[in-house]
Amino acid sequence: MTDATRAAAAPLLARIGAWPGRVRPPRWRRHRIGLHAAALALLLAVLFPFGWMVQMALRPPGEVLDGALLFQPTLENFAALWQGHFPKSFLNSVLVSSLSTAASLALGVPAAYVLTRWRFRGRGRVALWILATRMAPPIALTIPFFLAYRWVGLQDSVVGLALIHMTFNISIVVWFMQTFFAAIPRSLEEAAWIDGCGVWQAFRRVTLPLAAPGLAATAVFCFIFSWNDFFFALILTRTSAVTAPVAITNFLQYEGWEWGKIAAAGTLVMLPVLAFTLLVRKYLVRGLTAGGLKD
Amino acid sequence: MAFLKPVFANVDRAAAGWERRRRRAYLAGLLPALVVLGVITLLPGLFLLGVSLTPLSLVNPSTVFDFSDPLGNYRELLRDGRFHNSVLLQLHLSATSVGLQLAVGLGVALLLNVRARFFEAIRTAFLIPMVLPPIVVALIWKILYTPDVSPLHRLLEEVGLPIDSLITDPGLAIWAIAVAETWQWFPFTMLMVLATLQLIPDEPLEAARIDGASRWQVFRHIVLAYLRPALVVCGLFRLIDSLKAFPLIYVLTNGGPGTATEVTNYYGFIEAFNFSYWGYASAIAVIMLGGAFAVSWLVSRLGWNEVHHD
Repeated sequence: MTDATRAAAAPLLARIGAWPGRVRPPRWRRHRIGLHAAALALLLAVLFPFGWMVQMALRPPGEVLDGALLFQPTLENFAALWQGHFPKSFLNSVLVSSLSTAASLALGVPAAYVLTRWRFRGRGRVALWILATRMAPPIALTIPFFLAYRWVGLQDSVVGLALIHMTFNISIVVWFMQTFFAAIPRSLEEAAWIDGCGVWQAFRRVTLPLAAPGLAATAVFCFIFSWNDFFFALILTRTSAVTAPVAITNFLQYEGWEWGKIAAAGTLVMLPVLAFTLLVRKYLVRGLTAGGLKD
Repeated sequence: MAFLKPVFANVDRAAAGWERRRRRAYLAGLLPALVVLGVITLLPGLFLLGVSLTPLSLVNPSTVFDFSDPLGNYRELLRDGRFHNSVLLQLHLSATSVGLQLAVGLGVALLLNVRARFFEAIRTAFLIPMVLPPIVVALIWKILYTPDVSPLHRLLEEVGLPIDSLITDPGLAIWAIAVAETWQWFPFTMLMVLATLQLIPDEPLEAARIDGASRWQVFRHIVLAYLRPALVVCGLFRLIDSLKAFPLIYVLTNGGPGTATEVTNYYGFIEAFNFSYWGYASAIAVIMLGGAFAVSWLVSRLGWNEVHHD
């Protein structure tokens, strides 16, 4: 069998495999086609609102309110954004997300490693506390941070915002990396110790390289969570450190409902997230339910 | 053999030394994260508690360390009708949106639980609403709920049934938000249910079928029994998150019309950042913190260990 035919036959084989025993073609097939159609229709319905925003972003600015279904797609709305303050806020978003991701990884990765390897008393309680920090409603953190930042002069700064994002990102790193470290056999590290490596030297040379895919996925998740934040950024930034999600709301309030621009800005903000999500789709389930599922 | 003794002692000492060094190394790896996390979460928590015991308001500097009436804010909360209203709205919104998410998520998961490449491929596409930035979700629904630009309103107008915007109707606005929130978060339930469905063994299902159970009976008595713990944990997780719902309300209704969608989280936000009543807003936040931890505690008691995956 050539590769092409094998590829073509694969779905069929899978289908047969899923339905053991004798197959009664007519009813069975009708049923399956109905199921496919229903699933596809549902998918289209669910994604319709999302698609509508994207098409609004691509409409010529004058025709956003037109009912015409057909139009000449254009990037004018995006070009208009490029001329305003939006690129600056986009850059701020990139800076804040990168900074908080890097800092959370630097602190969280060693901690996650220790929590998987060192069975000390109270370990479970420490791990649970780290998770619990994520449960706190953001407003409970924002009030003290806002007051403290006024006092130390960190309000409206990239560093200040990155710091408060670490309140959720550290716990994500710790919980997510634990599952990756737990999957790496200890015997490899023990062998390195016998060869004279210290704990952290063995970690850097043996364990970390093996956990690299997990590390990359974790980094992407931290970046996305930080990128998606709206509440903290709304309150702790004003002008110079405004992030892209907050900058969008300025279009809603001050510039008189420019729907084309709003849709284009929304599309731009979600593009990196969708691209990154594709990158880590293998780990998506684990990442999105981190802490929700016990491993 | 006496001459071997010192050697053994040396080995023992070396092993103990290595053990000590290893523990110290572990501590060095763990402590920085714990210290930083403590400084950025526990410290603000204590600070919040402290502020909630003062009438702090930035217009009046004399209120900064005024602990003369520590429970004043909490007494005020008991009298504040707007706060009571916000708690009821929060319960309403959380109950409807979590309930809808569980129902829709379960339904979609059951539809997609087919071992075929097509279904596995489209499962990932169903996750899109959940990974979108919340502000983008809010924009998408703002578009859908604004008659000028909404395809739905246009469609209704075409068929001769024009309706007013849902988000300007005091009775319906909270439902409009619940629907948007359901759209965003049903994939979470779907994921958890799909993961749990994979773990249901075939034997009891087959046995029930052989014994003549109908499809409904199989679902009701076997599949649902397996799914229950996952659904409970999932619902509680969503409940905790639903207390934080912010961007949707901020963009869609801004708490209005009137106070029709002003849930507790939003009321706290307004008290703090619009009115600068820091002491009072902190008391609201402390109450919310208590609520979130109470639910988290429930999660850890109920079926935390019952949901496995991979």
